Amino acid sequence: MWRNYLTVSINALAKNRVYSIINLLGLAIGMAACLLILAFIRYETSFDRWVRGGENTYQLQTYFPNPRDGPPFFLQMASYVAEERIKKDFPQVESTVYLLAGSPTIVKDGQVTTAKDYLVANGDLLSVIDLPVLRGSKTALNAPDTAILTRSEAVRQFGTDDVVGRTMSLIQKGKTYDYRINAVVADLPKNSHLKINAVVRRDFPSYFAQEREFLTCWGCQSGWVYVKLKPGSNADAINAQMPAWEKRNIPDENFGGGRFNAGDEADWKLLPIADVHLGKAQAGAMTPGNDRGTIATFAVIAILILSMAVVNFTNLATARAGKRAREVALRKVLGATRKQLIGQFVGESLLVALIAVVIALALSELLIRPFASFLDADLTFGYFGESGMLLPALALVVIVGLLGGLYPAFFLSRFQPASVLKANKSSAETPGSGRLRSILVIGQFAISIALIICTAIVYGQTVYARSVDPGYKRDHILQVENLSRYQLIGRGEQLVERMKRVPGVVAVGRTDIGVATTNNSNTGVLVPGRSEPVTLGRYRVDTGFRDAMGLDVVAGRWFDPARPMDDQTLTFPETPEQTRALVARGANVVINEFAARKLGARTPQEIIGKTFGLGISADSGPMPVTVVGVVKDSRFRSVRDPLDPIVFLGTREGTTHMVIRYDGDPAAVRAGVERVWKQAVSDVPFEAQFSDAIVEDLYKAEERRAQIFAGFAILAVVIACLGLFGLAAFTAERRTKEIGIRKVLGARTLDIVRLLVWQFSRPVLVANLLAWPVAWWVMRDWLNSFDTRMALTPVPFLLAGALALTIAVVTIAGHAFKVARANPIKALRYE
Amino acid sequence: MLRMRDVARLYRTDSVETVALDGIDLDIASGEFVAIMGPSGCGKSTLLNVVGLLDSPTSGSYVFDGTEVAALGEAKLAAFRKANIGFIFQSFNLVDELTVRDNIELALLYHDVSAKERRTRTDEVMDRVGIAHRARHRPSQLSGGQQQRVAVARALVAAPKLILADEPTGNLDTNHGEEVMRMLQQLNGEGSTIVMVTHSPAHADYASRVVNMLDGRILQERRRAA
Repeated sequence: MWRNYLTVSINALAKNRVYSIINLLGLAIGMAACLLILAFIRYETSFDRWVRGGENTYQLQTYFPNPRDGPPFFLQMASYVAEERIKKDFPQVESTVYLLAGSPTIVKDGQVTTAKDYLVANGDLLSVIDLPVLRGSKTALNAPDTAILTRSEAVRQFGTDDVVGRTMSLIQKGKTYDYRINAVVADLPKNSHLKINAVVRRDFPSYFAQEREFLTCWGCQSGWVYVKLKPGSNADAINAQMPAWEKRNIPDENFGGGRFNAGDEADWKLLPIADVHLGKAQAGAMTPGNDRGTIATFAVIAILILSMAVVNFTNLATARAGKRAREVALRKVLGATRKQLIGQFVGESLLVALIAVVIALALSELLIRPFASFLDADLTFGYFGESGMLLPALALVVIVGLLGGLYPAFFLSRFQPASVLKANKSSAETPGSGRLRSILVIGQFAISIALIICTAIVYGQTVYARSVDPGYKRDHILQVENLSRYQLIGRGEQLVERMKRVPGVVAVGRTDIGVATTNNSNTGVLVPGRSEPVTLGRYRVDTGFRDAMGLDVVAGRWFDPARPMDDQTLTFPETPEQTRALVARGANVVINEFAARKLGARTPQEIIGKTFGLGISADSGPMPVTVVGVVKDSRFRSVRDPLDPIVFLGTREGTTHMVIRYDGDPAAVRAGVERVWKQAVSDVPFEAQFSDAIVEDLYKAEERRAQIFAGFAILAVVIACLGLFGLAAFTAERRTKEIGIRKVLGARTLDIVRLLVWQFSRPVLVANLLAWPVAWWVMRDWLNSFDTRMALTPVPFLLAGALALTIAVVTIAGHAFKVARANPIKALRYE
Repeated sequence: MLRMRDVARLYRTDSVETVALDGIDLDIASGEFVAIMGPSGCGKSTLLNVVGLLDSPTSGSYVFDGTEVAALGEAKLAAFRKANIGFIFQSFNLVDELTVRDNIELALLYHDVSAKERRTRTDEVMDRVGIAHRARHRPSQLSGGQQQRVAVARALVAAPKLILADEPTGNLDTNHGEEVMRMLQQLNGEGSTIVMVTHSPAHADYASRVVNMLDGRILQERRRAA
């Protein structure tokens, strides 16, 4: 019996090659998409689960769920003082460590370079996060002036990983420190939220001796805090006690007569390190995280694509049912029960699914590497074990086989033998099956069209983000980093003067905020007559900044080097006396239009000459500042981020970036700037980027998302078209007689083509009606996550509809022409 | 109305060349009712297809209504066919998905005829063949004779100069066959030119002229005394 079924199934597959290829190819593509996405999901959820004892290791995160001013903000970083206090207050804590983000410079063979992903720890990192030690000891970081390196970093710096016991010198805060390398650890896998090349341990109180505020500042989130709890401790219990912990530890500050507490808006939470990658806090992450929503979206799309392939399977099976009606009738006449027939047909579809999954596994193996490198992920593809693909593949066979096979099985086994045999008809169409097919085709194209729309909008937004007017002149800017190095203290102005003499340089300015810089510095501004301070971004700039950046002054004036009140430079290290003297003197500031609005001005002119209280340090009261100018709003960051309301402070020292506006050959200007830099400062690496490259990088994630959607859209369209191709072939065959009649009655080839094309265009047109509102709803939500966004016009919707229609028409036109051109005599005589 | 001279039709496959028509000379005048007879495979249907412009001769001359049509391209043939010729088939060849009315109207769909006129002419021709009471039925709901009447109506509705019938009674029982033949005769009486292929000598007797064929040639022609 089963051998008979198998023979019949294989014959049926072999006899209808087009049908078999469409089914197998479609299913294989859909299954491969599912398997690859499964590998991706497993990868995304595997982050940091490789850390031994990681279930007791937590990251202390800082949340600002309801800031008085601005959107909610969730940060992976925490302040140094928080680490100190959490260790002291909770007996469940076994060990903690604070890791300061930093990129020290390293001198190697006379060249200064920035050492990337070097973290400065205040304690024994390995006792908190158990990184696998390859050489040296587990207690490598048990004292200050010790270091650990990853194997790759050791090879990069020393040419070998046999470096335990050697000394590494780093320039930090302008001073050279020697570290004894006590261990080499394995390179961190990609599925880690940590990004570490080396960790060096310092004694923080002495390291920050000149900036003691850092050690007690609750609002200075410049590093990461990791906490290891004693086995059996409950992190939820600690999280529940956090509000009380805040009250105990965070002192009130006095600001312009009002009480202010750093804990008012901030919450702290311990999060298991395995949850960091997909957690809600993604600001201040070492590696880009992901969100569960995106992963779920991918999973849903993969399932939709697979279901489209299943639909093809069902559609073609019912469409071709007539061809097998005689077989069914004969089997029934010979005594087959309906149950047996259903079993036979479901078995057939399981067989098809099984063949498809083998192809899908082969496809996945071929594609896993390019897919992984595109996602920059360590995707693995094995068959056995916890991350094996064998079980999911078998599950796919069963699910797809049953889903695709059950309806056709019931449908086929319903035929009444008498009528089928008597009628001896080639088409045993049951009314209703055609309608079901139409509905399924509509569903397929709705998915395809929606994906095309999403692709178009995501891509459109990327283009928009890159080209939107940022409010300053973004082209012809070379932005130089590393200006905040200690080595450069007191040398900034001299450097600017030398840069101005480089041929091609038009203007030079220094700033804390430039083209997509990541600095984030806010302060409270007291408005006379209001009790609550207004939060504004506070950034230092020099007098050259306006011309270098190309800012428009809309009211008042820009900083003037000749007016002492425009300048509020403090010499390093800042002393409390110096600060108090500045606060007592006051200063002039320039603000942007948004800041003017937040401060209550209806027009920019109105605020010129007004005086406010500006917070510059925790110890001193607010400094009286007078607004002398208002500049046009500028979008310095990604369009994803909200526009900053900014108060600019004039300074001659201490900024982070240099902005150079140039004219002429960019490469020559860059070479000239680099030459001057190296002559002037030999101990700080030269790092600079053109503004267009910075902006390009800024929207990489969006671009990648557009590419992923495009990939999905292409898969969906391919599968939908495979199905349509099969249906068109079937329909053309079934309608041969009718077409013959029409031709005899005078229809031209074109009339017939039009008839068939219209038959298949209708479901595609209807699909638009389903796809448009869904895509609109989803994309409106997505666009809302941008502070400025392209207008959601009907264009991408109409384009997607037209594209899908065109593809559908091209797919079926071949059949239509073939049938339409056939000699009608044959169709009519050999019925 | 049509004149054929030395018309041949060859079918070639890789190894075999079949001569379906071999040197056919045939004239048919307006208003004639011609029956073509002969054993299976003698070329009757091929001749009918060539006459009906569904097929083109391999060689020879075919003048239809003053125009040489032997060498016309597919599009022109289709246009010519549409304007001049109506077909009736042995197996009726009705579109199962369409009603009687729609099947008949189909013949006007590809002509430049307004919807209103299409309706009027369809009504008229349904009356003429006596099928009006079945207008909303589907072909599968009709008897064979009724189906063939629909086919006849469809052949008539575009008012062709020539009606070609390929064994119109082949699928019908005797009574229904007679009924269709009487109808064709009546149409001929009203002025239609008819060419019919048939196996039945009795049905051939309804024609004004009978052409006998064998092996792709015309064996003899006989005119029925008027």
